[in-house]
Amino acid sequence: MGRPGAVLEVDRHTPPTLFHFGEGVRLEKLPLGSRILYPPDPLDPLQHPERAIRRALSKPLEDDPLKALLRPGMKLTIAFDDLSLPLPPMAQPDVRQLVLEEVIELAAESGVEDVHLIAANSLHRRMTEDELRHIVGDRVFTTFYPERLYNHDAEDPEGNVYVGLTGEGEEVTLNRRAAESDLVVYVNLTLVPMDGGHKSMATGLGSYRSVRPHHNVRTLLGSRSFMSPRDSALHHACIRQGQLIEDTVRVFHIETTVNNRPFPSVVSFMQKREFDWTPADQATFLAVKQFCDLAPPAVKRSAFHAMRAPYGMTSVQSGQVEAVHEQTLKAVNKQMLVEVEGQTDVVTMGVPYLCPYNVNAAMNPVLVACMGLGYMFNFYRGKPVVRAGGVAILTHPCRYEFDSVQHPSYIDFYDEVLADTTDPMLVEERWEQRFAEDSWYRQLYRKSYAYHGVHPFYAWYWAAHAIEHLGDVIVVGGEREAVHRLGFKCASTLQDAFEMAEQTVGRFPSVTHLRMPPVLLAEVT
Amino acid sequence: MRFELLSDLETLRRGWRWGGVRPASWPEPAPGVPDRPSNLSWARTEPVRSFRLLIQRGLSLPFTRIMTDPQVEGREWLRELDRPAILASNHVSHADTQILLYALPDRARERTVVAAAADYWYRRPWLGRVVGLWLNTFPFSRTGGAREVLHSASELLKSGWNLLYYAEGTRSADGRMGHFQPGLGHLANQTRSPVVPMHIKGSHRVMPKGRAFPLPGPVAVRIGKPLALHPGEDSRAFTARVEHSVRQLGSGTEDPAVVGSWIERWNASRPRTPGASR
Repeated sequence: MGRPGAVLEVDRHTPPTLFHFGEGVRLEKLPLGSRILYPPDPLDPLQHPERAIRRALSKPLEDDPLKALLRPGMKLTIAFDDLSLPLPPMAQPDVRQLVLEEVIELAAESGVEDVHLIAANSLHRRMTEDELRHIVGDRVFTTFYPERLYNHDAEDPEGNVYVGLTGEGEEVTLNRRAAESDLVVYVNLTLVPMDGGHKSMATGLGSYRSVRPHHNVRTLLGSRSFMSPRDSALHHACIRQGQLIEDTVRVFHIETTVNNRPFPSVVSFMQKREFDWTPADQATFLAVKQFCDLAPPAVKRSAFHAMRAPYGMTSVQSGQVEAVHEQTLKAVNKQMLVEVEGQTDVVTMGVPYLCPYNVNAAMNPVLVACMGLGYMFNFYRGKPVVRAGGVAILTHPCRYEFDSVQHPSYIDFYDEVLADTTDPMLVEERWEQRFAEDSWYRQLYRKSYAYHGVHPFYAWYWAAHAIEHLGDVIVVGGEREAVHRLGFKCASTLQDAFEMAEQTVGRFPSVTHLRMPPVLLAEVT
Repeated sequence: MRFELLSDLETLRRGWRWGGVRPASWPEPAPGVPDRPSNLSWARTEPVRSFRLLIQRGLSLPFTRIMTDPQVEGREWLRELDRPAILASNHVSHADTQILLYALPDRARERTVVAAAADYWYRRPWLGRVVGLWLNTFPFSRTGGAREVLHSASELLKSGWNLLYYAEGTRSADGRMGHFQPGLGHLANQTRSPVVPMHIKGSHRVMPKGRAFPLPGPVAVRIGKPLALHPGEDSRAFTARVEHSVRQLGSGTEDPAVVGSWIERWNASRPRTPGASR
């Protein structure tokens, strides 16, 4: 049994603290009296995940066993989460592979001939053949690819159907194959509380029309935060859409959770709390730091993106979506929750090399903002770790570098839209429609491996709540021009950043550092 | 007097097949003429097998991947085969064998022999030994002595080796498929082995007839559902059925009779030991 999450107060004996710095790491001394939030230790994984999956499928929550729902002649669609989860990508076998193999085994036993597998990538980029193979495993891949295993295409006019309007007027569309199926089995992997539940189907197999009603500035400002589904307007909209989908098609939901072990043993120092570091960890840190300081960015990127996470499955449940998701959230919160007393003036965060939208690509400045202010800032329940008007200090090189295959619309967003305004409301009002309907971005999304044209807007909206809440955002070590384009301030060192922060929050501010990843969810009282 | 040594040597070189197999049209050999080459059984013993494994894994397979990036479909039919099979493919290039070996799962590849034209590959003993070592070939006569050759092929099948067999008997010049020779059916009939239809596409551009070195280019291999002789089916009819399957694979068909239903493919790829693939 691992230790729960911890809040450590920095004193003169506290070792320096690890900060992620994009494709690099740093050790920084925090001011005396600062707090460091550590996530709970990884929970013990299930010893026999295959058995647990079989048990979950035969004893679902508020639903019939999956076997009883399968019959010859039926149309079965199995949808699963895409590569934005988990981060970093999981070492094989991915938990989705284990679940898919059990579901497919049941379908084969029941003689269901018409089976399709769809990656629910929504407006994310298509996955490559190798990425699909990595998630579903070799056996599933060779049996189904390419005719019966493919990516969802949200821009295929023939491949999507309009389902209707929710009570609040939100449009709902759905992948045609899923909508016309007798049964949809959704295989989910929940890493953080915002994943899973009704959001899986409503967003994953939706289109711009059905994502737009909740991926907008108003909804995201009304989600305090979107990591806490009960307080999230985004999730409330997804629930309404999901309920409408459930009226249209029979859905059997399978959700899995994993523990908090994103780093392989070779870089175990990233996983451990600093005061647990052994001399071997210190030596590894030193080696990694030298490598990151000296190696060209492309080499560092290859090394970091080759990392595979040794996550272990901690729970699996199946059945009716709401009952399933309730259990899932309990398991996720058990792994992530850290109780914190009171807010802080300044919050510091080391932004790592990876966010959900840059697997196998560079993290461009827009995604740095999305990761730091969208994701890391929002890892709270109740109220933010930092007070209103406080300062967030991020560490990241924030270079002007874009992956032109994956992020073509991000380049134009950075060059055109952010040059015009950084105000999320104005960005949405003036520019969103044009990017969303651009035929070239649409073509790249459908035929290449590009994120949808509207995706950089969503990445920016993700940060809207933080931008509104914070008095200042300072990026340590960032490229000055890129940081200024985002509307933030740039500092050379963390000490300089604290000096700059004092101009906003006053002398001797309270400081809290979020030591993640591994991810944590701060319960601020 | 003219100096004609070079032209005489040329005449001798062109006039006889040195070290090759006697053409069928020649009279019976006089005593003292070497016998037909052996079936190279040494190539299937240790340590040659291990050496070949190293060559294949370290050199040939990576090279094949870099040059042709083969897209392989239907590999599951061979993953867990419980008995040796005849792998019947069309033949369009010298690169075919290496590409088809690439397409096989590891376990099947290491238990596969290749029927190589005796009058072509074994004309020069050193060449026969090289291909025997590298690709695990054995000499297969196209010009006569079919009974003996079929005998050695069936012995190999019976002793647990898969047999890669080009039933057209020669390479196609333009990528189009020719007719299958009935020897395939005879062999399947004699050994009661299943026949796995395979189709290779694109390799005639990689190494066209007459070209010594390969060019890079995309190649696709499709492997179909194994076929077995029906009760009462004769060898010629069975050969025709295999040929039809290979043609269908080449046409891109998704017909379950040829490529199998997904349930059949799923069951075919089930690991022998539960959980072995995980």
